[in-house]
Amino acid sequence: MANPENKNFFAKIGEKCKALWESFLALFKKKEAQEVAAETQSGEVFVGKELTAKEKFLRFLKAEQGWLFVTPALILLAVFTFYPIVNAFIRAFQENYNPLSPTKYTGIGFENFVRVLKGDTGTGGATFLQCLVNTTIFTFVSVPLSTLLALLISVALNSIKALQKAYQTILFLPYLTNSLAMGAVFATFFTIVGTKNSTDTVGLVNIALGWFGIEPIDWMKGGKGFVWTIGQIRIPWTKYVVVIVYEIWSGLPFKILILFSALQSVNKQYYDAAKIDGASKSKTLWKITTPLIMPMISYLLITGIMGGMKQYTSIVGLFGEQMGIDYDMGTMVGYIYRYISNGQMGYAFAGSLLLFVIIMIFTVINLQASKKKVTY
Amino acid sequence: MKITIQNLTKKFPARNKKGKEVVAVDNMSIEIPSGKLVGLLGPSGCGKSTSLFMISGLESPTSGKIFFDDQDVTTLAAERRGVGLVFQNYALYPHMTVEGNIMFPLTNMRLPKEEAKQRALEAAQLVQIEDLMQRKPSELSGGQQQRVAIARALVKMPNVLLLDEPLSNLDARLRLQTREEIKRIQRETGITTVFVTHDQEEAMSICDIMVVMKLGVVQQVGAPQAIYDNPTNLFVANFLGTPPINIFEGEVKSGKIYIGDEAVLDTEVPDQKVYVGIRPEGFIYDENGAFSLNLDHIEVMGRDKTIVTAHGKSQKPTVRSIIDSDIYVNDQSPVVKFNLKPNKVFLFNAETEERIR
Ligand SMILES: Nc1ncnc2c1ncn2[C@@H]1O[C@H](COP(=O)(O)OP(=O)(O)O)[C@@H](O)[C@H]1O
Ligand SMILES: [Mg+2]
Repeated sequence: MANPENKNFFAKIGEKCKALWESFLALFKKKEAQEVAAETQSGEVFVGKELTAKEKFLRFLKAEQGWLFVTPALILLAVFTFYPIVNAFIRAFQENYNPLSPTKYTGIGFENFVRVLKGDTGTGGATFLQCLVNTTIFTFVSVPLSTLLALLISVALNSIKALQKAYQTILFLPYLTNSLAMGAVFATFFTIVGTKNSTDTVGLVNIALGWFGIEPIDWMKGGKGFVWTIGQIRIPWTKYVVVIVYEIWSGLPFKILILFSALQSVNKQYYDAAKIDGASKSKTLWKITTPLIMPMISYLLITGIMGGMKQYTSIVGLFGEQMGIDYDMGTMVGYIYRYISNGQMGYAFAGSLLLFVIIMIFTVINLQASKKKVTY
Repeated sequence: MKITIQNLTKKFPARNKKGKEVVAVDNMSIEIPSGKLVGLLGPSGCGKSTSLFMISGLESPTSGKIFFDDQDVTTLAAERRGVGLVFQNYALYPHMTVEGNIMFPLTNMRLPKEEAKQRALEAAQLVQIEDLMQRKPSELSGGQQQRVAIARALVKMPNVLLLDEPLSNLDARLRLQTREEIKRIQRETGITTVFVTHDQEEAMSICDIMVVMKLGVVQQVGAPQAIYDNPTNLFVANFLGTPPINIFEGEVKSGKIYIGDEAVLDTEVPDQKVYVGIRPEGFIYDENGAFSLNLDHIEVMGRDKTIVTAHGKSQKPTVRSIIDSDIYVNDQSPVVKFNLKPNKVFLFNAETEERIR
């Protein structure tokens, strides 16, 4: 590779760059020299000298050079984040959007939103409202429970000395596991394979329930008698349980990681002080430890809720591409994907905008609520 | 409550295989009478805090026993000993208000809320912070935080109050004021109090009894003045007094103490090599004195003056002697001569550094 011509070429480029840089520097130097000369000639300090356009530009460059450094990142963000957001925003208002038709859309208005919210999209399966209820319940049950469990596990982990590192590693392993694979495993835990009345082909959960004399339930199927209905909304609770257990479990590793390190950074003296003050173990946990690591807990709750509102893969992992029967376990993101893939993109855009607004609302509420609790 | 400590030892295991185990407290035996203010005094790292934490129950001793009155509390959990402890950095709960901090020990005693509030207020009044009850610790000055910590320790009316370097985070002025305060509170409440300090002046000024420690070993126990007047060894003599005692290498020969060639004082001690310790106030200016030193300069302080000199046998580069400011000293002469006050001169064995006179 190292042929002399190549070397020459690079050397030339190097020289060019150097020359360019030097001329660039010279521009500044010349200007300074001029200024100094002007000052010494007139014998007084210049206060408001008129600048030429070029000097003004250079001065601007010098002052605002920070922008130069963030430009690459800004360009990438613009192309891959800002443009899609703006685009989705616009498309959400275009009715009957179809990238293949010459006119692309037939009108502008709120039609997409109205139909999404009414569940009147001309395609069967779970409505947006159903998906919203699904997602909200999954999230608001699993995230707090998962955080609480993670807190208790971290406290336990923090109080043991032997094998602490080993446990820490084991607890973190699920984080490295593919969520589709985990979903498949969970599905077999909860399912019944074979005929309904045979007990030797049930999953782990049913085996465990069997010890307490509970008849096996096909959690993954649910079916009649396992569904609550509230107006248009159906809640197949056995499947909900599966999702929530899965979500709690898969959310644990990251939360434990964060809370454990938060616990480790708590000054040991507070525990000593609590002991002297006669506080019990549980009181120390709830009145001292928890408030002290509240910033981290609230970080986990906020990010957990944001992530929960966007969950999708876990449902596919558990219930397959159809997300249950006729998408009845669908999440909001699942809803969006569905309408992207069936070509009714207007509803996908409207759905994603609604999702955006909903997440925004929850985040603002969260931040407001945690502000009081978090700071000290 | 009387505290009795018997052969208390605390060893910390070595950090790694190459390290050595640390004997933080070595065979400590002291008796702390009820209602007294006792100071644990010694240089940094000599095991003061460890001793205090063992009394509080936060550290468990390797061996030895601790009694509160006649009750053996050696293995009793900290929360059941009824001690109040003020930590070196106060350890106020940052998420609670001042009131919350002070009330916390009471909420653990299942006191009715009204009574708890009342008692918290009384404790706050004792340390004069009743106006700050609704503040958070981060909104308080160091001195105020320290008072909150004391109030929190006092509010449950402990049998024993323990303070770990309570003044070390305060500025010089506040330190003077606060140590008076501690003395006042201790007297008002009559609680047996143990406090830790590395500042001998602080200990001397407020303690009823002083315990001087070095490398985990108790050197001497007694009233501050008694220890000052009668140190048991070179370390204690050196540690107490500002300005510190002057130490010279010397020798006892046929009933006379020699520093260099000069016989400075008579003694009954048998002949041997010694360290001679002379308190700064032990010098009597005398033009015909027996002990000559090279004059460096004179510091006039108003009430008295300090003659700063040098001597070849002195351990430190300068020798400080304090005399009455009325006495005229010829500052032109390169040599000043002194006689010595016998009760201000101590002799220490050159090898053991134990006091022999
Ligand atoms: N938890 C501990 N582990 C190991 N060594 C310790 C520990 N606490 C104190 N030590 C050691 O014990 C000695 C006495 O410490 P400490 O009681 O804190 O001294 P002081 O309060 O007089 O400054 C020191 O050498 C210190 O390094
Ligand atoms: Mg200490």
